[in-house]
Amino acid sequence: MNRGALALVLVLALSGCNGGTVDEHALKRDSEKVGSLASEGSLLANDVSKGASTKYFVRVHAKEMSQAASDLQNALAIRPTSPGIKRDVRKLSKLAGKVSEELERLHLHPTDRGVAASLKEPLKADADAADQLGK
Amino acid sequence: MKIFQVALGILAAIGGFVDIGDLVFNVAAGATFGYQLLWVVVIGVVGIIVYSEMCGRVAAVSGKAVFDAVRERLGFKVGLVALISAQVVNLMTLTAEIGGVAICLQLLSGLSYRWMILVAGVAFAIVVWVTPFEWVERIFGYGGLCMLVFAVAAVKLHPSWGAVAHGFVPHMDTQSPLLYAYFAIGLLGAAMTPYEVYFYSSGGVEERWGPKDLGLNRVNAQIGYGLGGFLSFSLMIVGGALFLEKGVQPEFLGSIALGVEVPLGQIGLLLALVGILFAVGGASIDTLFSGAYNLAQFLGWEWGRYRHPRGAPRFTVTWLVLLVLALGAVMTGVDPVQLTEYAVIFSAVALPLTYIPIFLVANDRSYMREYTNGRLGNVLGLVYLVVIMVIALTAVPLMILTNVGQN
Repeated sequence: MNRGALALVLVLALSGCNGGTVDEHALKRDSEKVGSLASEGSLLANDVSKGASTKYFVRVHAKEMSQAASDLQNALAIRPTSPGIKRDVRKLSKLAGKVSEELERLHLHPTDRGVAASLKEPLKADADAADQLGK
Repeated sequence: MKIFQVALGILAAIGGFVDIGDLVFNVAAGATFGYQLLWVVVIGVVGIIVYSEMCGRVAAVSGKAVFDAVRERLGFKVGLVALISAQVVNLMTLTAEIGGVAICLQLLSGLSYRWMILVAGVAFAIVVWVTPFEWVERIFGYGGLCMLVFAVAAVKLHPSWGAVAHGFVPHMDTQSPLLYAYFAIGLLGAAMTPYEVYFYSSGGVEERWGPKDLGLNRVNAQIGYGLGGFLSFSLMIVGGALFLEKGVQPEFLGSIALGVEVPLGQIGLLLALVGILFAVGGASIDTLFSGAYNLAQFLGWEWGRYRHPRGAPRFTVTWLVLLVLALGAVMTGVDPVQLTEYAVIFSAVALPLTYIPIFLVANDRSYMREYTNGRLGNVLGLVYLVVIMVIALTAVPLMILTNVGQN
């Protein structure tokens, strides 16, 4: 394999990984991801609170999203950061953890309208908070 | 009878056009750029119509499918490169599609993902083994019609129709031109995925099309893929009207179904999941057959689903092996949605090796007699070859520069 091809393989491999230093750009991107999960969770919770979804869909989809938020929480808790943004990165990690827990509750109570109604606004607020951290 | 046949073909094409690549790229494009990229879908759909009609005509007149033409026109060595790249992309796509089917089954049943992979694998093997060719296409095509619920959802989300109309005019209103270009390439790659023409032309040979079927071929390609494009518009409008405003990046198949649940509730969700199940399931079978068709045609083996499995044993073994390989790959836990993005981008690289031989054979009088391309066919064919070359050259650099659409 020549050097160009090797470099291409390395770039491809690295482009998909979650490692490396968190700089401002990565912070913005990850806050968008956390915000996206929270916002989608809020949409799902709203549907569950109206009885407009199905048990299995909520159980499976909420779990997927909860797991993705948890992965972000873990990555952001330990990754090195650029100077001056460490506090925001760790804050985003905690926020991702909160989103993950809320989505986990939705996963565990997929037909409970009360639980879903109680999660709708907090998840929306989490999405706004993530948006602020990315600015 | 003729009208009935045309209607069946069109219905199957509508339901069979959208696969996991179209789902992922159209909804994600809408969620990222609103309706700005609708014009790209039009270009992609016209491209697949032009080349499907061409390879269907070649199949009807000469009885040759795409990889017969590849072997004859590109020679053994270059043809082998085309075959290997086609098979790698096919296997990636098949893996992603089977993963997509398993996720859909999981979202419908709540059962374990890995069990659903096995269920999907066994179901495919049984369906392919026992069901006649034309019914395989039709069952999945008709089931895929449930995808029309996305059109209803698009209307119910009350998009700005002025902005939607503006989306059909090429323009770029973004601070991320590279990302815009990446999505444009992805949408074109998803619309013109090579397996569609492998399957279409081999299907023409399977159904023993002759010159009398050229009208049927033209109508199927134009109306079927045209209406399939309508489904792509709907997906992008759902992405733009719901997810862009809410800041949602649809990363899961479940997110795409949620786009219907929000405006239409439980019934909408179930129709969307069933539609995705059949559309992606149909695409799995198309991809599975395409892999077996390509290898058999290139090596000159007996092939075809109209034969008994024992009448084309190497063809049968090939699709069985491909199915087992794809099931094994899905079982590793690879994310089907992410794999889809890679499959679409790499298939874009392989496009010229598929479309150039079709264009050459469609102009060869010794094969096509009086049925060679007309002037319009040649102009469109050449324009699309240029488009395809641009896609092939820019797909991987854009994927790297945008971090697979993440930046």
